[in-house]
Amino acid sequence: MNYVAQRMAFSILSLLVLLFITFMLSHVMAGDPAAVAAGPSAGMAKIELLRREMGLDKPVLIQFAIYCGHVLSGDFGMSWFTRQPIAEDLMRELPPSLELVFVAMLINLAISMPLGLLTARYAGSRFDDIVRLLVIAGAGLPVFWIAILLQQIVAGDWHLLPMTGRLSFANRDYAGSTGFYLFDSLASGNFAVFGDALAHLVLPAFSLSLLFTAVGVRITRTAMIGEFRKDYVVLARAKGASEGRIMLRHVFSNGATPALTVFGMQFGWMLGTTVLVEEIFGRPGVGRYAVKAVSQSDIHAVVAVVFVVGLVFLLANLVVDLLLYLINPRRRTGN
Amino acid sequence: MLQAVLAVPRAALSFPRNGVEKAAIVIAILIVLLAVLGVWLAPFDPLKINFRGKLEPPSFTHLLGTDGSGRDVLSRLLYGAQLTLASTFLVLAVIVAVGCAIGIFSAFIGGVVDNLLMRLADIWLGFPPLILAFGFAAALGASLQAAIWALFFSWWPTYARLTRMVTVDILSQKFMASADALGVPVHRKILNYVIPNAFDVLIVQATLDVSAVMLAISGLSFIGVGAQIPTPEWGAMIADGRSYVANGWWIVLAPGLAIFLTALAFNVIGDMLRRELDPTSSRRQ
Amino acid sequence: MDEPLLKVENVAISLRHDGRSMVAGVSFAVNEREVFGIVGESGSGKTLLTRTLFGLHDDAFLSRGSVTFAGETVPLSGYAAAMRKRLGHAIGFVLQDPFSSLNPTMRVGKQITEAIYLAKGWPMGAERTKEAAMALMSEVGIPEPKLAFDQFPDQFSGGMRQRIVFAIALSQEPKLLVADEPTTALDAITQRRVIDLILDRSRRHKLAVILISHNLELLRQSVDRIAVLYGGQLLNIVTAGEIGTRTIHPYAEALFACIPARDKRLADVRAIPGEPVAAGAARIGCAFASRCSFAEAVCREAPLPVNPGAAATFSACLLGRGVH
Repeated sequence: MNYVAQRMAFSILSLLVLLFITFMLSHVMAGDPAAVAAGPSAGMAKIELLRREMGLDKPVLIQFAIYCGHVLSGDFGMSWFTRQPIAEDLMRELPPSLELVFVAMLINLAISMPLGLLTARYAGSRFDDIVRLLVIAGAGLPVFWIAILLQQIVAGDWHLLPMTGRLSFANRDYAGSTGFYLFDSLASGNFAVFGDALAHLVLPAFSLSLLFTAVGVRITRTAMIGEFRKDYVVLARAKGASEGRIMLRHVFSNGATPALTVFGMQFGWMLGTTVLVEEIFGRPGVGRYAVKAVSQSDIHAVVAVVFVVGLVFLLANLVVDLLLYLINPRRRTGN
Repeated sequence: MLQAVLAVPRAALSFPRNGVEKAAIVIAILIVLLAVLGVWLAPFDPLKINFRGKLEPPSFTHLLGTDGSGRDVLSRLLYGAQLTLASTFLVLAVIVAVGCAIGIFSAFIGGVVDNLLMRLADIWLGFPPLILAFGFAAALGASLQAAIWALFFSWWPTYARLTRMVTVDILSQKFMASADALGVPVHRKILNYVIPNAFDVLIVQATLDVSAVMLAISGLSFIGVGAQIPTPEWGAMIADGRSYVANGWWIVLAPGLAIFLTALAFNVIGDMLRRELDPTSSRRQ
Repeated sequence: MDEPLLKVENVAISLRHDGRSMVAGVSFAVNEREVFGIVGESGSGKTLLTRTLFGLHDDAFLSRGSVTFAGETVPLSGYAAAMRKRLGHAIGFVLQDPFSSLNPTMRVGKQITEAIYLAKGWPMGAERTKEAAMALMSEVGIPEPKLAFDQFPDQFSGGMRQRIVFAIALSQEPKLLVADEPTTALDAITQRRVIDLILDRSRRHKLAVILISHNLELLRQSVDRIAVLYGGQLLNIVTAGEIGTRTIHPYAEALFACIPARDKRLADVRAIPGEPVAAGAARIGCAFASRCSFAEAVCREAPLPVNPGAAATFSACLLGRGVH
C-alpha cells in the first residue's frame, strides 16, 4: 500500500510540474497573453478588456491556480484557428494518434521481445552480432526519412499499401463512436472498414516503430542477459527443462520487469513523435494539430497538446509501474 | 586532469575491434571535417535559385543534382553539414555542461535540495522532446534557437542524474576524507577527482546521444518548427524535397542518407566506447 | 555394485572461446550410494569440472577423456546435449547461492511440481503431484508445506531455500546428487543441519552424492572418499579415514594442517605459504610444486600421473608421497 501511495504522490507532483511548464509557456513566455488570446487583429481596447477578464492583473501564483483549475476541468480555452474549444479539438485529434501509437507499440513489442530474448540467450554469436548491427542502424534512422522512402516505394511504386489517410475514399464517411477506427469497426463487425483502416496503419506505424524497436531490442536483451547468468537458470537446466521452457517460463517473467518500464516510457515518446508520420501520411492527429497551431501562433492550442501528451506520458508510466507492482510479487514483499 | 584527457586519444587507438568500427571512426572524422570545411568546398551557392536548371539528376556539374528550385544539392548538403552538426554539438555541449553542473551541485549540496532536484530530473526524464519543442516554438517563434532551448530542457536530466551518481560515489570514497583533511577546496575536488572519473561515462552517453539529438533537430526542422526552409539544414532539405520525391529522389535521399550515416557512425563509436570504457556493461566475449 | 555409477577417465576441460585447457588429467569414479567429496580452493577448477562434466557450463567443454554414467559411455562430441538428457531424471543438483538458485517470480511449490513434471510427465495428475511435492517439502524439513507451497522464494531464509532446492532435486528421483558448496553461504549452525539433512535423505533415497567444498574438515566428517583438486589438477583421492592417520599427498596434508582443531595448538595450525595457483596456467609437472615443502626438480619437469583405471584411492605426487 505504501508503494501505491508513494507512486500516486509522485504522479501528482509530476502533474504539477507539467502544469507549471505549460503555464510558463503559454502565459509567461509567449508575450502578452491577452494580446495572444485576442488574436492578431484585435485592438487595444479589446486587449485591455481581455486582460482584466483573464485576471492578468492578479499575482502570478493566483493566475497559476486559475490556470490549473481550468485545465483540470477540461477547459483549454478556444483555438482561434479552428474556432472551436480546444478540448473538442483534442477529443477529435487524439484517437487517431493513440491508435497509431498502439499499433506501433504492438509492432515494437512483437519484435523486441523475441529478438531480445534470443540475442540474450545466444549472446556473442553471429546472430547476436548481426542483430546488434541492425539495432545500431535502426537507432540512427530518421523516422521521417524512412517514412517518405517507404511511402514512395511501397505505396507509390509498388502500390502494395495506401499512400495517405486513415481510410480509403470509399470509406471516407465512416465515423466510429470512439474515433478509434480499428476498435469501432471491429466492435460493429464491419470487417471491410477494419481491413481498410489496418492497411492505412501499416506503413505509418512501422515507420514510427523502427527507432523505438531498435532501442527495445537492446533494452530487452540487457534485461534478459542478466537473468540467463543466474543460478536458477542453471538449475532449471539441471531439472531437464528445455531451452524454450527456460526462456518463456523463467527468464522472461524475471527480465521483463525492467524492460517493461522502458516500454512504458516509449509509449509517451511515441506519442510525441507521431507528428512526423502524420505529416507524411496525411493522417489527422495531435501532432499535425500542434504543428498547424504553431504556424498559426495559436499558443493555447499548442500548449494544450503539450499538456495532453505529457499527461499521457505520466499516465502510461503510472499504469506500467502499478501493473508491474501487481504482477511481480517481489515488489510486493519489498524485495 | 589534463593528463587524463590526453590519455584518451592514445588509448582510443586501441579501441576499434573490427572493420565496422574503424569505418565508423573514419566516417565520423570525415563528416566533422566536412562540416568545418564544407562551406569552402561547396561548388555552388546553396541558396541560389535557378528555375531553369531545376530537378536535374546527378551529373558532373551537380554531383547530387539540383532540387525543385534549381539549387545545387551537394552545396546545400555541405552547408547543411555545418548547420546540422553545429546545432547538434551545441545542444549536446549545453546539455552536458549544464546537466553535469546540476548533477555535481546536487551531489555536493546533498539533503533535501539534492532529493528534490533528482525527483525533478526523474519526472522530467522521459518527456517527449519534440512536443516540448512545439511549445517553445509557439512561444518564441519557430527557429533553430527555439529548437535548441526545447531540446536542452528535455535532455538535461540524463546528464544530471549520471553526474550526480558518479559524484556521490566518489565523494563517499575514503580518499575524499583525506582530501578534506588536507583542506582541498571544492573546485579542485571537482576538477581533479570528479571530472576525470565521470569522463568515461559521460563520453559514452554523449556519443550515443549525438544521433538522438541530431534526429531531433532535423526532425524539428522537417516539420518546420526548427530551421526554416530554405536554410539548408538537412531536415529542412528533406521537407523541401518531399514534394518532388517522385521525380527527384536524390533531393530526399542525399540529406536523409547524410543524417543516417552520421547517426550510424556515432552510434557505432558510442557502442564501442561503452564496451571499452564502461566496466559494468554486460557483453559476453 | 561392481560398476561405478560415474566413471571419469583422464578428462580435460577447455574454454570455448580460446581453447585454453583449464583442467587436465582428472580421473575418478563414484560408486552407487557413495558419498564422494571434492575439495579445492577457489580457482582450483572444481566448479568448472563439475558443471562441465554434467553439461551445464556454457563457456567450457570436455576436450579429452571418457565419461561413463550408469553404464553408458557418453560420447565427447555433443557431450553437453547428451549429458543434459540425463539431467532431468538421473542427476540432481544443489548449488551454492540460495538467493539466486530459485526463480524469484515462481511459487516454490510450482518449482517442485515442475521438476516432477519434467522428470515424469503428469502420470499422477496435478493433484497427486502437488501432494507428492508437499510430502517432499516436509521431508526436507520445511514447516507447513501447505502454506509454503504457494509462497515465493524470498519469503524463506537461506537455509530453507537450500532445502527447497534439495527437494526439487529429490523430486526427480535421481541416482546421483551433485551438491556444489551447498552450505557455504549459510551460517555455521544451519550449515550443519543442511549437510546432515542432505546426507541423511540421500542415504534414505539410495543416492550417490558428490559433495564439493573448499572446507576439508566438513568433508572429512561427512563423506566416504575425497578428491583433492589444485590448479586444475587432481592431486589426491583418499578415504576420509586416511586423513590425519596415513601419509597423503603433500597438498592434502597442508590443507589438513590449516584446519584448527581442539587437539591442535594454535602454533600448529599452518597456513600454506604463497598464493594458490589458478587452474589453466599451462604447466608441466605438479601445480603445487612452487609451494610444496618436499618439492624437487622432478616435480616441476615430469608429467603428472593421472590415475588410469580411476582407482579408488590415488596420489599424483611424483615423489610417491601418499601412494599406497
